[in-house]
Amino acid sequence: MKAVLHILEHDFRNFFRYKWWLVGLISMNLADLFIMAIVYNRMISDEVAQQITSYFNFFAPGLAVTGLFASAFMIGREINMERRREVHHYMLSLPMTRLELAIGRVLSGGLRGMLYMLPLLLTCFLFLDFPTIWQLLLILAVLFLLAIGISGLSIAIAVSTSSLEKFITARGLVYYTLFFCSSVFYPLSLIQQLGRDGKFPMILVTMAEVNPLSSASDMIRYFLLGYPPFYFVSIINVLVFAAIFTFGATFAYMKIIERK
Amino acid sequence: MVERDIRLFFQYKFLIIIRAIWFISQIVLFGLIASRMISTDAVQDYFRYYVAGLSVMTLYSAAIFIGFDIYEEAEHGVFEYLLSLPVSRRQLVLGRSIGGGLRAFIYVGPLIGISLYVLGSVNPLSFLVSLFALFLFSFGVSGMSITIAVIIKSSDRFDILMGVLDALIVRLSTVMYPLAVVQTANPLYGGVASFNPITYAADLFRWGTGIEAIITLDNPLMPLLGIIAFFAFFTFVGVTIYDRRIEGGGWQ
Repeated sequence: MKAVLHILEHDFRNFFRYKWWLVGLISMNLADLFIMAIVYNRMISDEVAQQITSYFNFFAPGLAVTGLFASAFMIGREINMERRREVHHYMLSLPMTRLELAIGRVLSGGLRGMLYMLPLLLTCFLFLDFPTIWQLLLILAVLFLLAIGISGLSIAIAVSTSSLEKFITARGLVYYTLFFCSSVFYPLSLIQQLGRDGKFPMILVTMAEVNPLSSASDMIRYFLLGYPPFYFVSIINVLVFAAIFTFGATFAYMKIIERK
Repeated sequence: MVERDIRLFFQYKFLIIIRAIWFISQIVLFGLIASRMISTDAVQDYFRYYVAGLSVMTLYSAAIFIGFDIYEEAEHGVFEYLLSLPVSRRQLVLGRSIGGGLRAFIYVGPLIGISLYVLGSVNPLSFLVSLFALFLFSFGVSGMSITIAVIIKSSDRFDILMGVLDALIVRLSTVMYPLAVVQTANPLYGGVASFNPITYAADLFRWGTGIEAIITLDNPLMPLLGIIAFFAFFTFVGVTIYDRRIEGGGWQ
């Protein structure tokens, strides 16, 4: 446990060394909310406006999830860099087991994501509404699971890619697939409607429904805006996602990092 | 230099395929779903509007990647080899700028073909003019990427700065929404979008592909001049900055 805490400390120190990163990420997230969402607010159809009232309000919870994703994914970038610059030999020489090292990295990625996301979540509360204490605890628990899963996903990609360009490209692919096929940017009902009309493959509709990003965004929306309906099964989606990628990344980190 | 950069680019077959999947997934996922969300009063046919904008966005992203190549070369010591070649510094940067722009254009070519299939009919003369503008835009973006890369000399800072630039200049352009809507939403945003090279490229491409009915482009000459100015600035100022910053190490 002590070894894991040392890794957490190491990664948190690194996190705060990248001030530029944090400023840049915040700018990108705020640009999405205060530019894109405001302009889209002027363009949404009456039918959609009846469902979500305002695109700005609809997107704000999605923004917290977007921020969480971007910051939790940063650990992968660092691990990829360590691998390219062969710093991982130093990490492997530390007096701790491979398992402790791997768990520490996954956990620190998730916790850093949570830390970064908190101001965005607070912005969301300020503009929309404040949840009750139990709702807040549930939101934080689900977002933590999501952050761990994202951190694991990024580590799995980082140890499997040999160059920065490949890592960035893979990050883009994961981003587009997970975000565009979710309810972060648009209501899930639109995707389901397209599926019913036969204009969207049902497999993608199902993917959007079980996507942990949809589950987390819609849960926050339900608590703050009262829509869309919230189902406890969506928490299971996040739990499964977190479990798969935490164990997958731990295994991948332990095995691949030792290869020449 | 141009030949080398194009050859290098086509070595990354995996990346080219993945980026083509990005493009198609954005059309199929975001384009299709977002078009359901947008009122026809704001944009008559948002799907076609978005597909045209996406081509310009993809061209921008592909041209930016030359900067990442420069960091890879610095990291692996290839930079010193390039500096030892019997070409002047100016030829080196000009070659890289043209190579970066050209390979981005070659890469986006088939994707533009897909866009044209989605968008439908084309006015040949207007399309050629818009294609020429996209060429210059692509060289300009790649010159900008090289200039920023050699000024910053840190791959982390470059990556994040490109992300911020992308977030600001893509969102404050007409790639995703018409200028009239941006101006109504916020006059300041509208002001920035009116002087944005991505706006010029996106509007000219829509004009060239014959879907100008859903944009407000009174005179295509203005955006064309804007793109020429953008290209000239980043190619020629970029050469000067590259010339001064290229030596002395300090790459992170």
